[in-house]
Amino acid sequence: MKFVLFPLDPVHDVALKMLNRELLKRGHQTVLLPPDTKMEEVVEICQREMPDFIMVSRTVGYGAAELLARFIDMLDAAGLRKKCKVVVGGKAITKELAAELGYDAGFGERTSWEEVIAYIEGGGFERKKVAVTKIKRDITHGYTYEVRDGTFKDLLDKIADQILAWAKDRTSPGIERAKIKEKILEGEELLDDYLKLCDELVVSYFRKNVLPKKVRFITEEEKKKFERLVRGINFDGKILRHGLDKPLVFVQYGTGCPFMDAMHIKVSEAWGADGVLHFDPSWGARCEGLLEGLLAHEEDGSIITLENLKLIKSALSNSTLWCVRAHRGLNTPETVLLAAHAGADLTKINMVYGSLNGGTDPERLTVDGVFALQLSAKYKLAFDIPTNEELGGVPAPKAFAGMLVVAHLGVKLGARPILKPLFCYSPDVMINDYMKDNYVDYNAGKILALRRIMDAPIWPGEPIGFMTHTEDRVQSAMTTALHAALASSLELDAITIASTDEAYARGAITVSARIDTLRAIAEAFRFFGHAKIEPTKKAEEYAEKMVNDIYETLKKVAERQDFVAALYEGLFGTREEGANPGRAGRGTVRKC
Amino acid sequence: MIERIVDAIDIETTLLSKDEEDAKNTAIQYLKSLGFSDVDVVFVEHNGFASRIRLRAYVFRPGDKYAWIFGGDAR
Repeated sequence: MKFVLFPLDPVHDVALKMLNRELLKRGHQTVLLPPDTKMEEVVEICQREMPDFIMVSRTVGYGAAELLARFIDMLDAAGLRKKCKVVVGGKAITKELAAELGYDAGFGERTSWEEVIAYIEGGGFERKKVAVTKIKRDITHGYTYEVRDGTFKDLLDKIADQILAWAKDRTSPGIERAKIKEKILEGEELLDDYLKLCDELVVSYFRKNVLPKKVRFITEEEKKKFERLVRGINFDGKILRHGLDKPLVFVQYGTGCPFMDAMHIKVSEAWGADGVLHFDPSWGARCEGLLEGLLAHEEDGSIITLENLKLIKSALSNSTLWCVRAHRGLNTPETVLLAAHAGADLTKINMVYGSLNGGTDPERLTVDGVFALQLSAKYKLAFDIPTNEELGGVPAPKAFAGMLVVAHLGVKLGARPILKPLFCYSPDVMINDYMKDNYVDYNAGKILALRRIMDAPIWPGEPIGFMTHTEDRVQSAMTTALHAALASSLELDAITIASTDEAYARGAITVSARIDTLRAIAEAFRFFGHAKIEPTKKAEEYAEKMVNDIYETLKKVAERQDFVAALYEGLFGTREEGANPGRAGRGTVRKC
Repeated sequence: MIERIVDAIDIETTLLSKDEEDAKNTAIQYLKSLGFSDVDVVFVEHNGFASRIRLRAYVFRPGDKYAWIFGGDAR
């Protein structure tokens, strides 16, 4: 067959060149005209060549309809319209526009040349879908948890052994409730015993059916409709990493309502998220005991009940990793237990952060934390150790010292920890000007330092780029994407990302804001591929200082021979630095 | 407010839809129902069950008589 290919465009002709290449390969005759050829001239050439097809392309949107209409009129007037098929394609084209203007066919953006060839030659065309199979990954796989420096190992051993010896004969209402709940989950009737250890809010809920403020029951009808909706949701798997093995991408949810959470999760999965983290309301951490049933909450944080967790689990794709945070409150052991029973893959435990910036008494959270770590080992839930006390002002090395203690303790108890340094513009960083030039070196220094101390998975969060976000969505997506690229450059195991609503505090995060960031980091991973962000020599200086400062902190804590006292006395961060030992649960630990 | 808009109003959202066309049609219909006549879909990405979409309603195209110069109901 014979073709005249004409770019009705001042400059753009790449697609027609590609099509021309394929037509020639298939033995067709072609006349490829340059861009900006006058329409009158094209008509003359067509009259001379008498092609079977006139292939027109148009990229620029301005005036496209008018020009294409004029061109088809000219072909008609020249008697060519009935003799040749006229096909139009390009970025400015839609099928509807082509049909409206009288073209035989129209091909819009993202058309492949195979599709056009199939139309021309009368063959069938099926868009080939690249099936992506996502597999649930074990972030801790391959790590030995070896403490790489003997001096660090000695200190961590001393501190961890002291904690274990101290906790051995102590218990708390949180631990006792978890033990009772474990039996309740096995079918025993122990609600009375459970409620004896709960605050009035929980007792009133069970005994008098009184709901906490801004909480409502989810009805059975709502649940059924939701389940039907979720069952109907299908999408192709998407991997954001552009051929890289790491990092996995996590998003946080906790809109307050399990239905909204589930929809945010499904959209996040569809746009490439590998995992999700459940965030509960802050009041839940300060209340002895957990509620029960399907409950929606009008404010931030989705209430932890086994039923809520199971509802969310029912919406998750098989490959999605699921973390339920348990680290900071009076229900830490019980939350780990419920997370395990609901089918979570991960939990979150850090007694240091939870007691210095999470509002829980250090003694209480230490004894609860040890028990929670035992549960995490028993139920094979890997746990991450957030260091968000850095956001309160605690210097990173002190926060890291606490994280390493909890990690080492977890390993001793048979659990699998994940280190979670922040990639953030923290108060300590601002005061000391560590990021005056760039956001790369100090964050990279953190990773270099941690890798020198322990062979453990590293998952920056929560979320990356904390305190670099503004309410502007472009800036917000950009800063997250750049921090994600840094994590990728450093070959980190996972990241938690914010939505572009991260800095917006007057309402709930929107699902579109989640897509913004997922799209942005996909683009960052595409841009860098296997190329790296190169830190300056300052990163090494920061790492060296950080290792020394972590060592000094651990040394002081080991010498104090009392981890709980070290927390109260500011060895992991002073009040001036922003560490404030919490009060919730004070005086509730007893000997057993 | 309309007379102070330089050129267009963009609306971005995510909606449940069976495909891209479904999302586009629904969105255009919605924009028209708001009283806009010069409307377009700037971007749409569909993933299985939902579409991220950016809609545009032009208030002024280049060459129009702009209310922000002439005041009142210039258009």
